[in-house]
Amino acid sequence: MSLTVALSKGKLLSGTQELFRRAGWPFPDGESRRLVVPMGELRYLFVKDMDVPTYVEYGVADCGIAGRDVVLEAGSDVFEPLDLGFGGCRLVVAVPAGSAFSPGSASTVRVATKYPRIATEYFLGRGISVEAVRLAGSVEIAPGLGLADCIVDIVETGRTLEENGLEAIETVVESSARLVVNRASFHARRAEVQRLVETLEGAVR
Amino acid sequence: MNGAHRLAQIPPGVQCFVGNEARRRRRIEEAVLAVFEGWDYEEIIPPLFDYADVFTGEALSAKTYSFVGRDGSVLALRPDFTSLLAKIAAGRLRDRPAPIRLYYSGEVVRYEPPRAGRQSEFFQMGLEHLGGEPRAADAEVLTIAAECLEALEVEGFVLALGHVGVFTGLLAGSGIGGARLEELRERVEAKDARGVRRALAEVDLAPEAKSALERLTTLAGGLEVLDEAAAALACCPAAAEAVGELRAVAEALGGAGLGSRVAVDLGEVRGLDYYTGLVFRVFVPGLGFEVGGGGRYDTLLARFGRPLPAVGFMLGLDRVALLLGRQKGEAAPSTSSAERVTGSDLGKALAVARTKRAEGARVRFGNGGGQ
Repeated sequence: MSLTVALSKGKLLSGTQELFRRAGWPFPDGESRRLVVPMGELRYLFVKDMDVPTYVEYGVADCGIAGRDVVLEAGSDVFEPLDLGFGGCRLVVAVPAGSAFSPGSASTVRVATKYPRIATEYFLGRGISVEAVRLAGSVEIAPGLGLADCIVDIVETGRTLEENGLEAIETVVESSARLVVNRASFHARRAEVQRLVETLEGAVR
Repeated sequence: MNGAHRLAQIPPGVQCFVGNEARRRRRIEEAVLAVFEGWDYEEIIPPLFDYADVFTGEALSAKTYSFVGRDGSVLALRPDFTSLLAKIAAGRLRDRPAPIRLYYSGEVVRYEPPRAGRQSEFFQMGLEHLGGEPRAADAEVLTIAAECLEALEVEGFVLALGHVGVFTGLLAGSGIGGARLEELRERVEAKDARGVRRALAEVDLAPEAKSALERLTTLAGGLEVLDEAAAALACCPAAAEAVGELRAVAEALGGAGLGSRVAVDLGEVRGLDYYTGLVFRVFVPGLGFEVGGGGRYDTLLARFGRPLPAVGFMLGLDRVALLLGRQKGEAAPSTSSAERVTGSDLGKALAVARTKRAEGARVRFGNGGGQ
């Protein structure tokens, strides 16, 4: 039986494709709409990025590639043996540029985010009461419209923040693409998993 | 929504089993308990609730359903059997000489959202070996664990062994604690070498110990890992001693013909707070999470006033049932088919049914209606 690898078609796809090809694994072309693609010794699953850790935690996929941000948000109990060195970004607290707002100054911080779990833990961990407003996208407009005081979101270059009149004031966590591995597969299918880990490790730049 | 619907709603985290599902679970339980009995362990049926402080440890107490008794004492529904059995061994069985071999089977409840094949209420079958020579007890318990899985005809199971003493030994004297220790433990457990390095950046610890902690993330695999570990952990006598204990147990299992079932994972550093030595988990291909596990807890019984080293093991019935359903399908367990008995005279019909019952037949009594 082949190893199943969960991947997302989101922003990590091109880096993932390059990595697998450098490591010598056949990899499907981006054009196909198929969500389950068997290829040689691997079977690829294409799922939503936030769902990759879940597929791996439940063992439906033996391995997967997901951002550290996504693994943290999912709270999944998986191994993370490799930092793959691409997909680098920061999860930041951002507020309207020039605003006097700082998290410590409010009795309760209202934060709009796609990462309610990370945002809530971050503020509670600093002793700040928090109300996380979960949004599925376009988080940047929330403070300007009065939905939230600030946002917790991913920043790569900072351009999106700037264009929406926001500035990052604190870094919550640094993220990059990780290889995640199911705990049971790691032991029960050791030889195959080990080979995938080693070949990918050799191809990390 | 009308009232009738609201009353039929069940709270999240509970489940019930009907007919063949229930039968399958009973068969699993019977098979496992027969193995426990076969190794001369004695059953304990402990109480459903006890004083909340019996169940210690941060990980567990945060998940305990506790309530206030009429006399104002804080009570808790059992989230775990091990603490209860330790208390019983130190209390009611105080005069019984060690080693004491006990087993249990029943539900525990934990305040956890349904996840990874488990509801808030789930069913554990396990045993505790209290006292006795530690390495022999460790190897005995692991051998029994393997026999349970064999009895259930589980395919491809692996016993992944770790030792808490490797991690704690490497950290001795560092003064690390609190959130930083948790972060480090979590990164070792995730096998994230870079994360371990980052978590150790500001910890006051010898460079050899730091690089050894980082190595824990890759010290996982077959028995050859023990040789690598002996070399990598030579800097720290406590950690090296822990590896020595693991080796003794692993070699004994090899001698028992179970070598191919054993894996080593020195990044296995988590588990319940009371573990002090060997820890292990049972993994099976096709189920993403462990079906059982256990470990050595040498300090727990002292809390109840009877210092005794101990080791235990448990299998999760819910996960075993899920796994066997996947490996073998959901076929109905075999039962004899029922004989229909009916008659115009109720008393006579019942007398016939009783005769057939006395002969051991399965009887479907027809006078009440239905097929």
